[in-house]
Amino acid sequence: MDNESVIQIRNLTKVYRDFWGRKKVQALNSLSLEVKKGEVFGLLGPNGSGKTTTLKLLLGLLFPTEGEITVMGKPAHDVEKNEQIGYLPEESYLYRFLNADETLDFYGRLFNMSAKVRKERKDALIELVGLDKARRRQLKEYSKGMTRRIGLAQALINDPDLVLLDEPTSGLDPLGTRDMKDMILKLRDEGKTVVMCSHLLADVQDVCDRIAILYSGELKVIGSVSELLQEQDETQILTSRLSDDVIREVKEVLARHKAEVVKVDHPKTTLEDLFLRTVHESKTRPGRRFVPGERPGEDTSEEDGAKTPPATAAKVEEAAS
Amino acid sequence: MLTDIQQFDPLFALLKWVAVVVVCAGIAAAVAVVISLSEGGMTGPAKIWSAIRRAIGDLFGMSLRRVGAIAGLTMKESIRRQDVLVGVVFVLLFMFAGWFLSGSDVDTPAKPYISFVLMAIRWLTIPVALLLACWGLPADIKARSLHTVVTKPVRRTEVVLGRMLGYSAIITMGVALMGAVGYVWIVRHVPPDAQSQLTSRVPVYGTLSFITRTGEPAQHGSNVGDMWTFRSFIEGNTRARAVYHFEDLDVGHIRSDDGVQLEYRFELFRSFKGNIEQEVQAQLALVNEDAGLRVPYPPVPFEVREFADIQTRSSREGGRTPIVNIPRKLTYTPEGERESRSVDLFDDLMKDGKLTIEVRCVDAAQYLGAARTDLFIRSPDRPFSSGYVKAIAGTWMMALLVVVLGTTASTFVKGPVATLLTFSLVLTGLSLRPFMSKLLGEYNQGKVIGGGVLESAYRIVTQMNVQSPLPEGAATSVIKWVDSRVFEGLLLLQNVIPDFTHFDMTPFVANGFDVPWSNSMMPAIATTVAFVLPCLILGYFCLQWRELEAK
Repeated sequence: MDNESVIQIRNLTKVYRDFWGRKKVQALNSLSLEVKKGEVFGLLGPNGSGKTTTLKLLLGLLFPTEGEITVMGKPAHDVEKNEQIGYLPEESYLYRFLNADETLDFYGRLFNMSAKVRKERKDALIELVGLDKARRRQLKEYSKGMTRRIGLAQALINDPDLVLLDEPTSGLDPLGTRDMKDMILKLRDEGKTVVMCSHLLADVQDVCDRIAILYSGELKVIGSVSELLQEQDETQILTSRLSDDVIREVKEVLARHKAEVVKVDHPKTTLEDLFLRTVHESKTRPGRRFVPGERPGEDTSEEDGAKTPPATAAKVEEAAS
Repeated sequence: MLTDIQQFDPLFALLKWVAVVVVCAGIAAAVAVVISLSEGGMTGPAKIWSAIRRAIGDLFGMSLRRVGAIAGLTMKESIRRQDVLVGVVFVLLFMFAGWFLSGSDVDTPAKPYISFVLMAIRWLTIPVALLLACWGLPADIKARSLHTVVTKPVRRTEVVLGRMLGYSAIITMGVALMGAVGYVWIVRHVPPDAQSQLTSRVPVYGTLSFITRTGEPAQHGSNVGDMWTFRSFIEGNTRARAVYHFEDLDVGHIRSDDGVQLEYRFELFRSFKGNIEQEVQAQLALVNEDAGLRVPYPPVPFEVREFADIQTRSSREGGRTPIVNIPRKLTYTPEGERESRSVDLFDDLMKDGKLTIEVRCVDAAQYLGAARTDLFIRSPDRPFSSGYVKAIAGTWMMALLVVVLGTTASTFVKGPVATLLTFSLVLTGLSLRPFMSKLLGEYNQGKVIGGGVLESAYRIVTQMNVQSPLPEGAATSVIKWVDSRVFEGLLLLQNVIPDFTHFDMTPFVANGFDVPWSNSMMPAIATTVAFVLPCLILGYFCLQWRELEAK
């Protein structure tokens, strides 16, 4: 195995068959890919494209019809590989009659952890996922977001080197989504490998280093996010706010170089960013209401000084020279 | 010293177990190889070998902590899902049972109470064990909570064993609780005059042989036309005797008030009515052939009645089978002598732990029926709790076996099917297995009337008499060959289906006997233990080769 390679998939084919052995669905068709150590890898695709099947094959929950899978240098059916893996399923398939404490303690015992280590990990993870106040409540009383959080905690109980996340932000509110994404980035910073599958493209774009796009069980695209998303025949310059005169001059300069100005406008923030800023403002300054046109995070009071001018983005289509 | 009718031979049981396991494993391996060849070509057998190696690793690499975690989870699941509410049914049953049980048996008033309690515990425990074991894993798979477990470094053996242990712990607690409540209930509800029946008699059995009317030794007595060969008869006022030989007697064990207590229950067959007002008489004699001693005791013959059911005895003899207390010092007058002699029971009559007791019928032309269990030395009684606890342990072991079978079944089929499968095994083991044993016994002795499956079918179709031999020819050879294979398959099946009759110890306790170890407890323990390892391995492979996420 390549030292840097955490997952190796070669010619992986998965055919679901019925009771009589007749072919029902071909979920994967000769899939080959590799995930390197320390990267956040995204598996994308529409429903039924084979993302979750791939994850489950990696975990040994399904058996390949053809092909080979190596995870952490071991075959997928080898349970010992699970020592280094953390898995968050699409739905948090946990025991609903347990509370958060018992849940983490149970999964800790499955990793043969001593009582002392279990307690330390349990306390740290419950605090990390923000369930300290609900740690004694049975999971059946949890909201979906809380269930996802405890699901993430159980996936991290063994401090895994490889984390497999199936739709990690599904069911989470924007705050939870942000936390989850931050957590993924933190895991990457700690040198861990993360493989996630999702159809929430914005989330994938935010956190993934590399992605693979599957369609009908076949690999269509694979590469780094930055490379794949880069528009090679356009250039974008981001500056502080420009006056109309300056914009006119820039256009003249560009025209001299035979470049066509496609669009000049002010860049938009994301809805997620706006939401998070609103929540943050509401927490820090309770009772304050925003007037129409005013945006959270922009302090317009005179004593706070002049507001920061928003940036202007000019998108220029380079002329073919 | 024989305290049981049938002795349990652990070595024979072990060898038989090994043979059955090896045959079953061989068949399974052969089937697996054939399937693997058809599915994976020449690489198939290599995959089978790899799977077997992995299974061995998984079996020996089990972590007690993980098994304990899964067992603990299983217990919590059962408790929090309130499966244990079956206890409410138990309490309700016991609250009202007293209305229907009192005075239902004149002679043994304690018997219905004991039988009811043991039966109630059994038939409340078995369904709970069945439902717990058969539905747990499938529900776990359906809810996909098992997926989160098996994506941890958990071996399938740990999942199966953990589940088995968890359910067993729940069952153990339930049976212990119901057993304790049942004991108190029996002691409180049995009428005061029947409290003396709450005891555990410990019989010491001898072997039985006969002496014919002409004085010749024989294995059997006279046949009076009774189809039931359990008892054999001796003719009255002849030299015919029923001879009980007791060996390896431990005086310290059987001594009762510095003597020995005998208990007997003989049957009677009258060849003529005679004096219907007068009972037929019989007599016991303690014999030491080597020393030439023959001591009649009790000195006066005792009465035996035909159809001597316990109820008729009860009015005269206090509701108990007749008891003879033999004192240590015996005085008797030998035949042909005038002077009486004294002998010591232990020193003179019981030499080297051996004692012979002869029974003869006094009245001419009347017949006394004797079976091996009709006369035994009664060791000092044990407390009622001794037999009761063993009977509860029998129910407990039966429930454990149901848990083991149910959990195994649930690894390859869904809950309802697993329940049906396990329940069928229980019913077969309870009711059909004795029939299978009888049939196979007859087959081994060549006494199967009408032949096997094919031969029977042939005879039905051709309307051929079961006694007539089949016509010679190739077809007959084929029929006989197929029938032999079917019988062999049946033989294997008989050994694969657990014998649940071993677990019913109620008759011993209800009739005031202690539960014998060799005859009852050891077979029950062996049956339970014998199925644990094969079921664990079978469950492992079923779960290992099952795609948990298969669509």
